[in-house]
Amino acid sequence: MSKPKADVLQGTLALLVLKTLVRGPMHGYGITLHIQQVSKDVLRVEEGSLYPALHRMEQEGWIRAEWGTSENNRRARYYRLSETGRKQLAAEEKNWARLTEAVSAVLEFA
Amino acid sequence: MSLLSRLKGLLQIGRLERDLEEELRSHIEMRVADNMVAGMSPQEARYDAQRRFGNSTLLKEDTRAVDIVAWIETAGQNLRYAGRMLQRSPGFAVVAILTLALGIGANIAIFTVVHAIVLQPLPFSHPEQLVRVYDDLRSSNTHNVGMSVPELWDLRDRSGVFQDISVIYPVDANITGGERPERVELLGTGADYFTMLGVHAQLGRTYVPADALPGFSEPVVISDAYWRRGFGADPNILGRKIRMDGDVYTIAGVMPPNFRHPGRTLTTDVDLWATCGLAAAPFPAPPIRAVRLLPGAMGRLKPGLTVAQAQTQLDSFVAQLTRQFPEEYPTTARWGVRIVPIQQDLVGNVRTELLVLFAAVAFVLLIACVNLANLLLARSAARQREIAIRLAIGAGSSRLITQLLTESILLAAISGAAALVTVFWLKDSLLRLAPADLPRLSEITLSPGVLLFAFIISILTGVIFGLVPALQATDGSHVTALREGTRGSGFSKHQLKSSRFLVASEIALSLVLLIGAGLLFRSFWHLLEVRPGFEPSQVVTAKLWLAVPNDPKEDPYFTPEKRAAFHREALRRISTIPGVEQAALGTPASLPMDSQRNQFSFVIENRPVDSERAPVAEISSVTPAYFSVLKTPLISGRLFADSDDTQGQQVILIDESLARRYWPDSSPVGQRIRPVTRSARNPNAPIPWFTIVGVVGNIKSDGFDDAGEPHIYRPVFQSPPYASVVFVRTSSDPGSIGETIRAEVQHVDPGIPVFSVRTMSSVLSASLAERRFTLELLGVFAGVALLLASIGIYGVMAYTFSQRTNEIGIRMALGAKRADILGMALKEGAVTIGFGVAAGLVGSLGLTRFLQTMLFSVKATDPITFATIAALLTAVTLLACLVPAHRATRVDPLIALRHE
Repeated sequence: MSKPKADVLQGTLALLVLKTLVRGPMHGYGITLHIQQVSKDVLRVEEGSLYPALHRMEQEGWIRAEWGTSENNRRARYYRLSETGRKQLAAEEKNWARLTEAVSAVLEFA
Repeated sequence: MSLLSRLKGLLQIGRLERDLEEELRSHIEMRVADNMVAGMSPQEARYDAQRRFGNSTLLKEDTRAVDIVAWIETAGQNLRYAGRMLQRSPGFAVVAILTLALGIGANIAIFTVVHAIVLQPLPFSHPEQLVRVYDDLRSSNTHNVGMSVPELWDLRDRSGVFQDISVIYPVDANITGGERPERVELLGTGADYFTMLGVHAQLGRTYVPADALPGFSEPVVISDAYWRRGFGADPNILGRKIRMDGDVYTIAGVMPPNFRHPGRTLTTDVDLWATCGLAAAPFPAPPIRAVRLLPGAMGRLKPGLTVAQAQTQLDSFVAQLTRQFPEEYPTTARWGVRIVPIQQDLVGNVRTELLVLFAAVAFVLLIACVNLANLLLARSAARQREIAIRLAIGAGSSRLITQLLTESILLAAISGAAALVTVFWLKDSLLRLAPADLPRLSEITLSPGVLLFAFIISILTGVIFGLVPALQATDGSHVTALREGTRGSGFSKHQLKSSRFLVASEIALSLVLLIGAGLLFRSFWHLLEVRPGFEPSQVVTAKLWLAVPNDPKEDPYFTPEKRAAFHREALRRISTIPGVEQAALGTPASLPMDSQRNQFSFVIENRPVDSERAPVAEISSVTPAYFSVLKTPLISGRLFADSDDTQGQQVILIDESLARRYWPDSSPVGQRIRPVTRSARNPNAPIPWFTIVGVVGNIKSDGFDDAGEPHIYRPVFQSPPYASVVFVRTSSDPGSIGETIRAEVQHVDPGIPVFSVRTMSSVLSASLAERRFTLELLGVFAGVALLLASIGIYGVMAYTFSQRTNEIGIRMALGAKRADILGMALKEGAVTIGFGVAAGLVGSLGLTRFLQTMLFSVKATDPITFATIAALLTAVTLLACLVPAHRATRVDPLIALRHE
């Protein structure tokens, strides 16, 4: 292992998945790859938490799943952002911004 | 997650499983491919890909936890847990199950009756097409005046409304040739009666249209009950000749045991069906349009016609007939034909009673639920720490609610099963309590509909009584609960509020029931105070029937003189029976509270015909002693004398209400009236005038609660009847005199049966049986409600006071008197009771109007009943509050202080 890798922070997984799906429908493996690449290998999504999260988000109606074919002609389940999902994303982004602002405020104060 | 998506999940469970597996496999394959591109060996690549998933079975479990399998597993766990909880507190379980089983059982029992009588269609094909046909004279507001033969034929051939229509003619008949003459209930019908109903014989055949003759046809059909009673269920019965009313008939078929004539009968179920063309002896030929000999008809509407459409068509058809026969249908009479669906005709009058009883048992069950909810609240107070700790360490409150609800539903389900079994075992003894003339009594069974109802009501009960305690137990105030829990494990303030709310609603429900029962009780009381116009005690009645053979030459009683002679001799012999003080005789319509009535439209001499309201009265014929046997007073004029016979002037007596209506300012004695229609037997004779010779007291003949029509009496011996009723006033035991009367009558003619021997008192009480039944049941339900409500408030007060033993000890030690403590209890109880009573009064104001048709001279909002019952309930529940408070004050303050 060349670099230390952080597991995705508890509670931010949904935010990251939703944001990833803004770019278009994607399968679970693609989502992990995307998050890992964009975060320059800092964030790593555990498969063990990704799939339960995906299914829960599907139940909530934030994302929809359908079977499709991957770039390599493999059958894969693609997730697509729904309208409520977009709203949820906006809400979580706002929340995240507030949180980071608050954390940096505390850091600067000290 | 909603229940709906859970259920969807349940249906899709196989597919979900496969989808998930395939999705994970495809993920792993992609990772393997990328790993190999990055330079790993295939084996290494796969190992890495799988390792990242950890335990893939566990992963699947996690992913699926949102799905139905997990839900079912959780339900199973909950159920096992609930079972263990109940086992651990068997006392609670037994009390709960008994209370609920009582409530659910009462609901199942009443629903079984409602289902069979009101909801279930009659057991015929297309029962919605079957109607009862009545003739009315709308000008005098007289219903069911009977039908003439040409009218029946017109309805059949020209109205265009009926597929089939059959006369319905219930009569008494004499079966002779056995050991002694026997009276049977005969139903005269058209030849297409059985085809109209679409029913078949269990043995032999029914008669069919091909059997039709102008007079009676020889083949007759008997009921299963008569086949067993009269012929010992002889399998070789077919072709057996029987002599009925002097004529010979052949038994052609036996109906199945479950077949009953879907309509009212005279005294018993129909024993025997016979068909008559109504166009030859004993009916006048040719038939006369204006003489309404037939009691009515039953028909099957043409397919596709609704009752309303058929009624509209009939109305225009009636208008057409009225124009065509102006003499028979004077426009002033406003003759009309009315059709009623047979189900409504059969059960119409008990429908309201049954629905009221059904509502009452639903209330009882609700009250039982509230009581149990309270019990559960108290129990959950004891389990509060367990629940609070589980909540604090992160158990989902929905999971806890489900678990608590599972406990209550399990309780309700066990109670429901117990109730169902009990109702099933007790069914026959319960049904014996019902009035014998309840329609469709034999159809009451535990059908699949009842089982479904039992299932639904049990589950619902569990949810209703479990929900409040479950929500209460997990409502998030667990921090407080933990803190409060340190001091014993009592009711929190919050729980106390819920439990008081429950008690108040229980009191409200009981008050509605009690007021309903109170109103019925007052109605019944008023009914018992109604003076029937005669003195029923020590009077015995019996019916006689001189057979009418189809051929007049065969009829030994064809002439009025013969019939008069028979009745005179029978009456003379009955009068000599030891213990008989006086005996009288009348036509069947002279028996009060019985089913047979003769409507009589008349014209008053020298008075213009009132076009709006033609005079109408009930007419019967009686012997002179009738009024003294019944102790009905003569108001003015004279009673009949023995000289009022066929030779003398035609005389009548009228009752007070008729006298007051038509001769309000003068004496009717000496005035003359005559019938509107001609005699059926003597259609060509001029219509005779009747002279009023006296006025007698009113006799209630249609029931205590019925204002009834006024009465006209003729002397029996001026038109001696075939059917008669004997009235005997006796000083000896009324029960044993029947056999002696039979012997004396059969001494005169051994072929004449004596039947329906009853005391006048039992005739009266039978007329009240339905009301008494409803009243008794509602009274029992209201009593149970009162008991449950008292137990409810007692329980809550006892619980709170046992929690406060300590406080009360301090108060007493500081000098509070017993009266102060009791006053405190009263004040606390009074608030709850006050809310409950107020809500109950409002509810009663809204609900009692549904009782309106069952009330008699009491308003549905009778203030006396409302006030009395509310006061009674308040007193009883306050008493229930005082008992535990009183007990608390008797504890030694020293012990109370140390109580923890």
